Amino acid sequence: MIAEDTMQILYERAQEEWSKIEKNTLPVVYVGSATCGRAAGALETEEIIKNLLIKNKKYATFVEVGCMGPCALEPIIMVQPSDGIPICYGPIKPENAEEFVRRIFLEEGVWEEKLIGVMSTDEFHGLPPITRHPMLAPQVRNVLRNCGLIDPENFYHYLAQGGYRGFLKALDIGADAVLEEIKKSGLRGRGGAGFPTWRKWSFARETQADEKYLICNADEGDPGAFMNRSVLEGDPHSVLEGMLIAGYTIGARHGYVYCRAEYPLAIRRLEIAIQQMYEHGLLGENILNSGFSFDITIKKGAGAFVCGEETALIASIEGNRGMPRPRPPFPAISGLWGKPTVIQNVETLANVSLILQRGADWYVQYGNENSKGTKTFALAGKIKRTGLVEIPLGIPLRKVIFEVGGGILDDKEVKAVQTGGPSGGCIPAEMLDLPVDYEALTKAGSIMGSGGMIVLDEDNCMVDIARYFLSFTQAESCGKCTPCRVGTRAMLGILERICSGKGEMMDILRLETLAQTIKQGSLCGLGQTAPNPVLSTLRYFRHEYEEHIKAKECRAFVCGPLISYHIDPERCAGCTMCAKACPVKAISGKRKEPHVIDPGTCIRCGQCLRVCPTIYSAVYRRSGSRVRYEPIKERKKKTG
Amino acid sequence: MNVVIDGKTIEAIKGETILECALRNGISIPHLCTHPALPPFGACRICIVEVEGMRGYPTSCSTPIAEGMVIHTQTEALRLLRRNILGLMMLEHPSACLVCERRELCDKYRPKSEKVGATTGCHTCNNKEVCEVRELSADLGLAEIMVAPKYHYKPVERSEPFIDRDLNLCILCGRCVRICKLHQGKSVIDFVHRSSQTHIGQAFGKNLHEAGCTFCGSCVDVCPTGTLSDRYAKWFGRPDAEIKTTCIYCDEACALTIYAVNNKAVMAKGLYDHLPVCVLGHFAIPEFLNSPNRLRTPQIRVNKVLRPVTSEETVQRCAELLKNYTGTSFAFICDTSSTLEDRHVFKKFTQEVMQSPYYFEIIPDKKGYAKVANIPEEVKAVITTGLFIPQEYRNRFEVVIALDIFPSEWTKSADVVYPVATFAETSGTVLDRNNQLRPLVKACNPPGEALPEWSVIQQIAKTISENWKEYTSVEDISRELGFDSAKLNLDRSSAPPASQNLKERREWFKGHCMENYVTGLVAVRNFEEGNPHEEKTSIKIEVNIPENPEHFTVLSRRELVPNTYEFVIYAPAIARKASPGQFVIVMVDESSERIPYSLSDWDENKGTITLVIQEKGLSSRKMISVMEGERLAHVVGPLGTAFEIKQYGTIAILGGCYGIGAVVRLSRALREKGNKVIVISEARSHYMAYYEKELTAVSDRFIQTTIDASSGEKGHAIDGLKRLLQAGEKIDLIVAVGCPFMMMITANETRDTGIKAVCALNPIMLDGTGMCGACRISVGGETKFACVDGPFFDAHQVDWDEVRDRREAYSAEEIQAISFTMPSTTIQGEHHYHQCSCMGRG
Repeated sequence: MIAEDTMQILYERAQEEWSKIEKNTLPVVYVGSATCGRAAGALETEEIIKNLLIKNKKYATFVEVGCMGPCALEPIIMVQPSDGIPICYGPIKPENAEEFVRRIFLEEGVWEEKLIGVMSTDEFHGLPPITRHPMLAPQVRNVLRNCGLIDPENFYHYLAQGGYRGFLKALDIGADAVLEEIKKSGLRGRGGAGFPTWRKWSFARETQADEKYLICNADEGDPGAFMNRSVLEGDPHSVLEGMLIAGYTIGARHGYVYCRAEYPLAIRRLEIAIQQMYEHGLLGENILNSGFSFDITIKKGAGAFVCGEETALIASIEGNRGMPRPRPPFPAISGLWGKPTVIQNVETLANVSLILQRGADWYVQYGNENSKGTKTFALAGKIKRTGLVEIPLGIPLRKVIFEVGGGILDDKEVKAVQTGGPSGGCIPAEMLDLPVDYEALTKAGSIMGSGGMIVLDEDNCMVDIARYFLSFTQAESCGKCTPCRVGTRAMLGILERICSGKGEMMDILRLETLAQTIKQGSLCGLGQTAPNPVLSTLRYFRHEYEEHIKAKECRAFVCGPLISYHIDPERCAGCTMCAKACPVKAISGKRKEPHVIDPGTCIRCGQCLRVCPTIYSAVYRRSGSRVRYEPIKERKKKTG
Repeated sequence: MNVVIDGKTIEAIKGETILECALRNGISIPHLCTHPALPPFGACRICIVEVEGMRGYPTSCSTPIAEGMVIHTQTEALRLLRRNILGLMMLEHPSACLVCERRELCDKYRPKSEKVGATTGCHTCNNKEVCEVRELSADLGLAEIMVAPKYHYKPVERSEPFIDRDLNLCILCGRCVRICKLHQGKSVIDFVHRSSQTHIGQAFGKNLHEAGCTFCGSCVDVCPTGTLSDRYAKWFGRPDAEIKTTCIYCDEACALTIYAVNNKAVMAKGLYDHLPVCVLGHFAIPEFLNSPNRLRTPQIRVNKVLRPVTSEETVQRCAELLKNYTGTSFAFICDTSSTLEDRHVFKKFTQEVMQSPYYFEIIPDKKGYAKVANIPEEVKAVITTGLFIPQEYRNRFEVVIALDIFPSEWTKSADVVYPVATFAETSGTVLDRNNQLRPLVKACNPPGEALPEWSVIQQIAKTISENWKEYTSVEDISRELGFDSAKLNLDRSSAPPASQNLKERREWFKGHCMENYVTGLVAVRNFEEGNPHEEKTSIKIEVNIPENPEHFTVLSRRELVPNTYEFVIYAPAIARKASPGQFVIVMVDESSERIPYSLSDWDENKGTITLVIQEKGLSSRKMISVMEGERLAHVVGPLGTAFEIKQYGTIAILGGCYGIGAVVRLSRALREKGNKVIVISEARSHYMAYYEKELTAVSDRFIQTTIDASSGEKGHAIDGLKRLLQAGEKIDLIVAVGCPFMMMITANETRDTGIKAVCALNPIMLDGTGMCGACRISVGGETKFACVDGPFFDAHQVDWDEVRDRREAYSAEEIQAISFTMPSTTIQGEHHYHQCSCMGRG
């Protein structure tokens, strides 16, 4: 029935293509050239290497691959000597390219300092395998299985990795069995809420309608989150295969990928992949003679955060203003154009193709009781190794921070971990043994979210963090419902007041009342979760709020208006450096005599502290009862 | 299908929402953004309920009812949440009046004609009498505002035809957006921007006409606040009558509801929520009917001049004139805007009394304009019910009797002019384009001595012919015509073409061009011709004030708070002579009203005076639209008796509204004399408070009170004073300067303290020198002139009711003046965005 021979031919062709790379005669150079790699200079590096090789009459095949994950090591270049095992290096910045060519290609050696590992499970000529790299060792790369290893624009590369075998299996076993398989896998929505995927599908499947839709939600909008982008840029077919399977199961005829326009590379790769699918008969009428027809259209979002919300996303596709509408009716019953619609996150769909390829029984080996499989996270903040990681659900948060992430920068004390982006919350250091799963994170006052994970240390002010996240949701509120539109602004106003030292104790009560009103009264998920950063910091770091209000003290020395600058007369040698640097002439004092800062004139720019010679370190900051002599860390802004 | 709501088992209908089911069964759930004509929206979140087994608090307006649902609508948690949500909504809507303890007293006392500026409280709101927000806040027991409200500082949009839009009141319920989509099938208006910047507007800053608006007015009808208002109707308050009738502007014969106050039509709208009417049906009726140009008295030509006479004389004259023109020398010309009953009488009169075959019924063309030229040569006498005969044919006729609503060349050259009732001023039956009979119901009185057309003709008929069978009422005629009044209905299933396409509208009625009587239609025409009416805005232009400016030049003008402006005027003679407590009288131009303003400050050396002026009515609006560098026509002063500056002890000076500005100099002078001066300044909310720094500098203690407690203490200035007294502060004298209401409550609530209280009265004034007596008031039973004996009087002796009544004396004229001049006059729209001093407070 199904045109299996068509696929057989394709797979044979894919094997051929792939073996060109595996059994290479020329060296193969893999360049991690997703957006993250490009930002780090991967394309420049590639260009320089190419030119140098030509100049030296050396030849190699170049493959542009997706993101491997370790952002701190970008650009990552992998070199596979002829007939050998690929060896991974990073970071190879454009300025390192020349040395790289000399060491690897001309001297045919290994550049130990830049070595990440060999792409093998065992040691190879004394070189450590990449799996032993401390950042990668604890990870399980299922969703990211092909990212960084295959050419995302090469259809055969995906096929060679077992691609579309999941879809073939789905056609083979039928929709009911697919649903059963997904149910058995325990897969839950990776967009944040964790709704069981099979339940959503079965609602839509059971609803009678002449038309049904499947939407892939690629409107990733959390600040600092890039999990979906990496998958779309590194392995678009894994998501599209998931869409085929989902569309087939629920009985949809049309699929949409709603991708934000800020992801041009992801959109381009999706377009290429969809084109390839049409060319090879995996989209369109009567796919593989199975009777199943399916089309996929890309819809570009204009960058509104709220359009990640299901009903707002639907409104946006329909050409309306992206504003959510109340549910019920749920989209699975009445969604796009009033038809049953299933909306799944990119990562969920990438999981679906994997589950069908390898089976639910294989899939459930990862994760714990209620949270199965793996989850990708964008690890950021005050951590040694930032980047995109994928871990099995259920492992302790501590393991993610200290093993995958390598611990805290400058070996400071971890204060909290923020998960779930602006809808999430802060989990304090005492709770780091918490397993990373949907229920545990929710219970702790945060959420799984789509995968943002920001590590905060003692230099982060928790009130300021809450203020930052709230300012994001406040600005992104669509303005439709009262609690979210007005409430978030009112809360933000109070937080700003507290951060500027004008708070009163009543403000904490007001924040709590407002937070409850917004949580309970808002129309959509954006509003309902917007107070989470404030509520969770109030829950675990109430003392910081109280210090800000009562003692006008910011223990992290972040909130400018609560910090004053002083000169220690014991230490000051009267070198006049600070007086010269002060832009407002707030510092007075005679040469070789201790200087004084006039607090009324001082604008707290910190210039004096920066210029005070370390041999004196006479300038110090005070906030409440706390005093700090150490210089300002310029890095601070990053987590901001 | 059975459901349980608040413990009651109820039969529900499949497909309805929880709210619909509850309301149908008499269970009230508070709601705001939902509207019976509109699909659910779920934005305001007021109608939330608890449903057992459902997560959170679903909105009842959007949740479909389902078998076996157990719903709670009135739990404590719900009440609290609803109140908190409303509290949040009120942060973006002027809300101080909703939580004011003296609200009811204020409602009774405040003047009605102060709806000129941007709305900052209920008393100046367009919607005051019919406000869903007020009702809801009373229902939910809203008593306090949690955090300081945010005022939008949006200029009131007054440049569109017929519709005023004050976005400062908007709660973003989206009703207007949804009804526009429903009625027009497009989004002329929509939500613009996001988060707290969200507002209702047209795409890309277009004006309404460019955006495709047909001025069907449906958005105004559904607005629950005063954001969108009918520019004409907003002045008249709550209508006392509501009459369903048929529109006779064209043969679409739409069903309308006419709202009337004191038998005067003030507002009209479509009868059906689901169907729009056209611009004329919605906006053009009250202004057209109430036009000051209407014919009011019968007139006959005496010695070549038309003179008003009694109706008997007029009828008599008609009979005399027509006597010699029976048969084919007479013709009657009417059109189909007269009722079938009217026309029956016309026809009968022509045929039976005048025995003429020439009865003409004109059917107006598409625009409503039709004139006849083919009247037989033999006709020498005509009766017309409108402007139907081109003026060049006038000389053909020896006798012209004009029944009409408006004067024209035709009426001016007629032998007899009789004013008649039309439209909602009369009853009868009309025929629509589908030959269906529709009832026309009287909703208001005709102007002056105007009568229904049939009744005028019947009187003439009776005088000429003894055989005329008299009709006692319209029903009499209907009966004769065989109309079954029970079969008349207002049913309608489709929208009139003009509601979808502005170009389809009628432009003429009874031969009169409607633009001449409905100013908004002029604006529509201007928009169509690409000359939109633009407001004068105060984009600050560099003005070079000369070193020796002319007298009364405005040297600086700035907006202190919404509607309140500080003017510095060059007036060296006044500055030289002024003393604390005195005032000036300003005339903006040669024909302006004379308005008294307290002197806020002055500078003898620079020769300047400072006035604080609040935009309240027509004249103050004229005043605030004077820009820097421009000149006022006259400033007279200083007037009034100065406040006696001497040693009193401890003085409490209470300032409110424009009065805050007036106490600066007084406070300084009293303090310099060795008094302890406590200044208490009241404002509705933090964004209405001004001069904090100035007043702190001139007082020993400055107390700010706001009604919503958003800045300083809660309450009116008097509450601040009472707290002082309670705390044991010994006060020797109270001075209150502000609106009459504020001074009245200060007087009433300090009467028992035994402390002397003086207030600065500001009644209507004309000359300001004690001649005209316009400003007279009663103090302690004695009549005083506020201009020369005042402005300061013993507050406890003032007859406050009289003060109020005298202030209200000309409010009808004020409303008339404002409503007739506003749409056509270029009027100030203030930009609060860039240069405004209130920027920092937003």
